[in-house]
Amino acid sequence: MDIRGLLLVNGETIGTPDQAPASALMGAMDVAGKSALERMAERMRQFGMASISTVVETGPSFVVRDGVVRDGHARDTNFITATPERFWRVAEAAFNEMAQGGAELVVLVRLGAYTEPDFERLVQFHLDRGARVTQMSLGAERLEIFCISASRRNDAASLFRTQLARCRSDCPLLQLDGYFNSLAGPRELRQFAIDILTRKTHTAPAGDEARPGVWIASGALVEKGARILAPAFVGAGARLRSGAVITRCSSIERHAEVDCGTIVENSTVLPFSYVGAGLDLGHSVAGMGRVANLRRDVDVAIPDPKLMDLMPATSGKRFLAAAAEMLIYLPRLVWQSAFTKAKTPEPALQATLRQVSPIAGEADDFETTPRKPEAAQEFPNMVVARRYGHQ
Amino acid sequence: MDINSRPVVVKRMPERVNARSAREFLHDVRPFLNADRPQLVFDLSQVVQLDAAGVEMLLRCMSEAHKRDGDVKLASLSDQAAVVLELTRTERLFEIYETSTEAARSFSGFLPNAMRQQLLHNKRPSPPVAA
Repeated sequence: MDIRGLLLVNGETIGTPDQAPASALMGAMDVAGKSALERMAERMRQFGMASISTVVETGPSFVVRDGVVRDGHARDTNFITATPERFWRVAEAAFNEMAQGGAELVVLVRLGAYTEPDFERLVQFHLDRGARVTQMSLGAERLEIFCISASRRNDAASLFRTQLARCRSDCPLLQLDGYFNSLAGPRELRQFAIDILTRKTHTAPAGDEARPGVWIASGALVEKGARILAPAFVGAGARLRSGAVITRCSSIERHAEVDCGTIVENSTVLPFSYVGAGLDLGHSVAGMGRVANLRRDVDVAIPDPKLMDLMPATSGKRFLAAAAEMLIYLPRLVWQSAFTKAKTPEPALQATLRQVSPIAGEADDFETTPRKPEAAQEFPNMVVARRYGHQ
Repeated sequence: MDINSRPVVVKRMPERVNARSAREFLHDVRPFLNADRPQLVFDLSQVVQLDAAGVEMLLRCMSEAHKRDGDVKLASLSDQAAVVLELTRTERLFEIYETSTEAARSFSGFLPNAMRQQLLHNKRPSPPVAA
């Protein structure tokens, strides 16, 4: 039986387009190395769907989103982008193309929400009922997961034209019995990362398990002195500078950078984000010049590049940025050494301790020589300091 | 006996605290910081943007105040200011209050034990002198 998958990604974004310097679709955002979109496509492939098409919304106001989506999509799926106005028409066209291509059933999933449905059960249920369209639900809530008979184009068309809100014919419901995360905002995104790292989901972090509970993807650079405490994830091409601490289910996504001495605790650092040196990032989703603090339940813009910045999305730009940094570094070092005040050298501890106090020196019967000179020669680095005089 | 007759200065911080506005703000509060045992409250309720320069300015004010045996307290933190202070680990260095009034009151709240005893002693009616 020819069953094909159609994935739709639009709607919820991280950061609103009007106020954020950049925003990204939640479903296309990396979580522990892969987006919900990639994970869903992977799951569909596991259930034997050979052909999968993805329709993703793009827009001129989303500066980074295009890069994130294009870079993060499942590479072996048919990838179609559409503007918000034409999104549903493009989705309908993609469905029709599948039907014309010989598909018998089309499994349609819209992200936002990430779920782990049993597609085999869904198809079986659909066939058993002889339905035109079958929908999945979670309790009383209808999920945007459908199984559509490809020959029923009118039913599909009505579904697409009402933005999956209404079905023309009777639509039986099948209860979801797997994992569900609404991915409605930063809180859910964070929860998704925690669930992946604590293995509450079937899907796993996209990296090698370097130590139990610590996943590091290829190309990640963990400098000497940086610490990763399990469970944690470091994405491909991410960089942890010396002294950085990653702990409590934190996820550093691909090409993100955590600078020296920064503590990332129970937080997600979004792809291509830079977190400045000496910071304390806790209970947050950070990136794209914003921090969504989950404890305070606020989302604030951080316009200072010293604290939070955006890494260049392409490798060429990253190389140029690194080269520019290198070029600036040497002149700055020369400038600092030439014009900054030299530190006064601290007196050596040994020399200071061996100095005879002027008062003690003048006192009678005061001996400054050690009782056993040979012992002093044997342990030249040993110092005995007494707080109160020579007694 | 007047224990705390020194004034508490409450200063509202601007909406955007970047390098330039931080310099201007520091210039404004400098006379108060240079006073003996300065007592300052910064109201951050209107702050919508606080960057590293702003945080540095706050730390500088605090250090100046401490040098003169005074203190700088923060009040009415906006969400933005609170997140940035938490991010930069500076929120633990300041005393932070819900309102400026509370912050201003807190300056008279702390009295060393010796002074407290002295104050209580002075308030008590003097015992009758034995004949």
